[in-house]
Amino acid sequence: MSQPNRLNQGGSIDRSKPLDFTFNGLRYSGYEGDTLASALLANGVDIVNRSFKYSRPRGIVASGAAEPNAIVQLGSTEAAQVPNVRATQQALYQGLSARSTNGWPNVNHDAMGLLGKLGGPMMGPGFYYKTFMAPASMWMTYEKFIRKAAGLGRAPQEKDPDIYDHYNHHCDLLIIGAGPAGLMAALTAARSGARVIICDEQETFGGSLLETADLLDGKPAQQWLANALVQLSDCGDVLMLPRTTANGYHDHNFVTLHERRTEHLADTAPEAHQSRSRMHHVRAGQVILATGSQERPVVYANNDVPGNLLCSAVSCYIRRYAVVPGQKLVVTTATDIGYQAALDWLDAGREVVAVVDCRANPDGDRVKQARQKGIRIITGSAVFEAKGSKRVTAARIAAVDLDAFTLTGQLEELACDTIASSGGFSPVVHLSAHTGARPVWNEEALGFVPGRVKGMIPAGGADAIYSLPAVLESGLQAAQQALQSCGYAAVSVDLPKASQRIESKSAALFQVPHLKPTSRAPKQFVDLQNDVTAAGIELATREGFESIEHVKRYTALGFGTDQGKLGNINGMAIAARILGQTIPETGTTVFRPNYTGITFGAIAGRHCGELFDPERYTALHAWHLKRGAKFEDVGQWKRPWYFPVGNETMHEAVARECQAVREKVGILDASTLGKIDIQGADAREFLGRVYTNKWAQLGLNKCRYGLMCKDDGMVMDDGVTTCLGDNHFLMTTTTGGAAAILDWLELWHQTEWPELEVYFNSVTDHWATMTITGPRARDLLSEVTDIDLSKDSFKFMECREGMVAGVPARVYRISFTGELTYEINVQANYAMHVWNALFEHESTYGLTPYGTETMHVLRAEKGFIIVGQDTDGSVTPEDLGMQWCVGYDKPFSWIGKRALSRPDTRRKDRKQLVGLLPTDPSVVLQEGAQIVFDPKQSIPMKMKGHVTSSYYSPTLGQGFALALVMGGAERMGEKVYMPMADGRVHEAEIVSPIFLDPKGERQNV
Amino acid sequence: MSNVAVFDQNAGAGVLAESPLSHVSGRKGGSSPGVILREKAFMGYLTLRGNAADAAFCEGVEQVLGMPLPTAPMALHQNTQKGSSILWISPDEWLILLPGGTEYETELALRAELSGHFAVVNVSGGLTLLTVTGPDARHLLHKSTGYDVHPRNFPVGKGVTTTFAKATAIIRRPSETTWELVVRRSFADYCYRWLVDASREFGLDAEI
Repeated sequence: MSQPNRLNQGGSIDRSKPLDFTFNGLRYSGYEGDTLASALLANGVDIVNRSFKYSRPRGIVASGAAEPNAIVQLGSTEAAQVPNVRATQQALYQGLSARSTNGWPNVNHDAMGLLGKLGGPMMGPGFYYKTFMAPASMWMTYEKFIRKAAGLGRAPQEKDPDIYDHYNHHCDLLIIGAGPAGLMAALTAARSGARVIICDEQETFGGSLLETADLLDGKPAQQWLANALVQLSDCGDVLMLPRTTANGYHDHNFVTLHERRTEHLADTAPEAHQSRSRMHHVRAGQVILATGSQERPVVYANNDVPGNLLCSAVSCYIRRYAVVPGQKLVVTTATDIGYQAALDWLDAGREVVAVVDCRANPDGDRVKQARQKGIRIITGSAVFEAKGSKRVTAARIAAVDLDAFTLTGQLEELACDTIASSGGFSPVVHLSAHTGARPVWNEEALGFVPGRVKGMIPAGGADAIYSLPAVLESGLQAAQQALQSCGYAAVSVDLPKASQRIESKSAALFQVPHLKPTSRAPKQFVDLQNDVTAAGIELATREGFESIEHVKRYTALGFGTDQGKLGNINGMAIAARILGQTIPETGTTVFRPNYTGITFGAIAGRHCGELFDPERYTALHAWHLKRGAKFEDVGQWKRPWYFPVGNETMHEAVARECQAVREKVGILDASTLGKIDIQGADAREFLGRVYTNKWAQLGLNKCRYGLMCKDDGMVMDDGVTTCLGDNHFLMTTTTGGAAAILDWLELWHQTEWPELEVYFNSVTDHWATMTITGPRARDLLSEVTDIDLSKDSFKFMECREGMVAGVPARVYRISFTGELTYEINVQANYAMHVWNALFEHESTYGLTPYGTETMHVLRAEKGFIIVGQDTDGSVTPEDLGMQWCVGYDKPFSWIGKRALSRPDTRRKDRKQLVGLLPTDPSVVLQEGAQIVFDPKQSIPMKMKGHVTSSYYSPTLGQGFALALVMGGAERMGEKVYMPMADGRVHEAEIVSPIFLDPKGERQNV
Repeated sequence: MSNVAVFDQNAGAGVLAESPLSHVSGRKGGSSPGVILREKAFMGYLTLRGNAADAAFCEGVEQVLGMPLPTAPMALHQNTQKGSSILWISPDEWLILLPGGTEYETELALRAELSGHFAVVNVSGGLTLLTVTGPDARHLLHKSTGYDVHPRNFPVGKGVTTTFAKATAIIRRPSETTWELVVRRSFADYCYRWLVDASREFGLDAEI
């Protein structure tokens, strides 16, 4: 297909490399070097989308990140779908396939468009709030339709075939923007030897130099640019990142850069293992903000009809892409930039109808140039309305009195198909605002400049410096200042010579008055992406939304991926005019990350799939896998949950495992328990202060169960601690609590009791722990150890050192099942050897591996709590019936003691730990079920407690549970009820939480 | 009652030891791999705690290890003759790396030489060492840790405890071309998978 708007020469496209692409199903062609937007304009595609709310036809307006309309859905396959891509930022590649994000049935004929035309006045700001407010129950229905009608693209339904990754950097200088200011700063910094990163969101470096007609050192600026890039790429410590958007500026000069690595090449990354985009996490000493400026469109009636463009975009398309986006141009301007667009248009061989300038006597160089070329110049006037629906057909102009905000004099209608507007420039302050710094109004430049941010230096257009020589100078100065802050010596660099052009002073033109009042005039769009009009802002202020933040939220001005790039300043100026205040009094809204939309993949990086979160393995993990274990996540650990044999269900496997422990011997991999080695002369004293119970008398090689409270008196951890020497203890913690308890000990040691001589070290990973438990545990262990296991020499709650299967081991005789138990600890590298040695006797003793589920059943039968399951941070030791584990008479106080004397912790009706036996033995209560005393009371019932642990016990032959019940300790034998969501009500009897062997005879054999 | 329990935790011959990465199989990365990854399994590791301001403590450590105690933050000292090294971890903590099997005698020697308040803990079963070399080794680290591994900030003779992907690791630089990672046993598989994944674009040679 031909490209009617393409010039035969000029531009930086490569005409020898044609590329085919499709847009909304139609085939087109462009060239390498095109963006999707320039290629669409070359092909004469006027309508690229339907607008968000009113569904009005829209065309391309801008040439970069600010584009509000040409937001497309990219991807030729389902898996490669990418929403919210700006056509102006998407490089063209062979086979590119894009669609409009809005428009049903298609952009040229849109059903919703009728609303935009007919229902327009009804859909003011707050339309959705007001219309769909009631009934609330219908909101879900409305929402579906609203979302379908609105929408800005869709996520893919299939798995993304690409990968995304992260890369960390530290640098002295991060330069954001590689236009003349940024490049000059980089050239300066490169001389110093500093570590420099320079990034730019465009395909190639250069910014405005890519299309400027200005000369540098007497040659085209593009030649200087090419030299500069060669110089920079020869510097070892300068990293150049094109196609890279600084999307977020966070605290302490931490900046995230989103680098699109293959998005200019194909739908998906062409090479295996190549990340499609990369998020650079940059910690910069100094940031030079060289983000340039953004031209403001002028707000006039029907300024959204396709064919309305920015003046700078017109120049850019002609000069960079050799595309003239129309035949007959009318310019409406408040700056000399408008004349540049007219001159470029004329050079391209097309007709300039007129330049309409709101200023009375513009006299800049480019004005004179235009006059010399015979372009009609109409001063003191502006375009106040565009005619046309799917493309501009004419511009209505009139003399304008901006101070009085009225049109004066004769109206004139100029036939044209393109209107280019320029209301002046706004520095791109978004990134500086991410840090929380409010932009500051610069009256001279008629724009907001970045607020002060420590470690950030704005340069060039971002600081409202617009003439090329001044921009280059500011880049150099910014670099010198930044280098000095980083401790580098000043360097001498020559500035290229640029001619100083005479510019006429810009006027403040935001909204052009209409013949009718704003509310009656055709729509005058302020924010094209969010369909916010001048009338909408007027209405918002009339309805009392006077703060600019409220105006923003009521109208959606600058929402979403737009972030106010084109519309914000115009919107604020309009609000200021209506409210009768100045623009700085009105202020700006807050710009937030991300500057432009980025894919979630880049945010996640490689932290997805199997790398989403670390999986921690014990030394025996490979064995568990081979044995067919099902795993449970405990923190980041993978713990065997149960070991099914054949086709066993979980219930069957757990019943078998429980039975094996109660009747023969089971084995558990307990390596995940937290283990803390404690050494020092004051170790024992320290234990006494952090545990509720006493440690003064614990003898050598004796073990003791300890309970730890937070300072609020609530149980936070428990475990067994063993005395290995007078100054040496080994503490065990819950699996999930290991790291937090080590921190807790350090906190109290370092902040409260630094005088105590004690050191804590984690040995969790060093020791592997194998728990053998059951009546035959002693017989099994005696097969492989030289330790004297006899009942009287190695007693319950004692520890021994010895050899187990040829490996030096510490064996602890403690029990979490109520059975005879030995916990064998060896240096983890030997764990598999010892485990295998035990399993050589598997058949002799009926040795059965069991997992966490069986462990839970067995411990619950004994009434042993699990901190975090039977407690929830609101349970005291006494609530658990563990008064025996609290030493109120210890000489030094301990953490939680004082809180336990508060009236609240002494209440009789606190929730207390009890056992529950369901009346129907086949019932296994739901964990978390709420407990009531009277099942017949009316709803809402008075909830008196809840079930914390509940299992089926093969030993008891019935379901049983642990629960926290108000005043439960005094309610033994009483019935309680658990009303379920399905209407059933379970009945259970309150019993002791110890269901099995209350005297502990089984573990004391 | 003795003050501290110390015992030789090394098993004799005939006992098969398994490193934290014994379950993974390495992969060859073609003729010119960008990253070469090796595990130095079964090293001896001792955590040392004590007071660096105590001259006797410093002298005692130097006496036993044959190298001075690093007192500057993140300093790594090496005794190439003995194949051992000591890294500053925090103001009162160091990690000593030893040839495997010598941790017990070293602990005994330290305890004999030192007095007052100090601690020595054998942590050999809980850690393993990975070496990363090759032209893209530093790129790999950039992808894995937020710490600044540029030579200006990370010269030879430095080591830090820092984040590594979503785990922690000790990163050490014993020579110009070699980076070392000391990782915890339970995180070793995760760290290895991360390294394999992050190295793909460079080409990986991993013999584990």
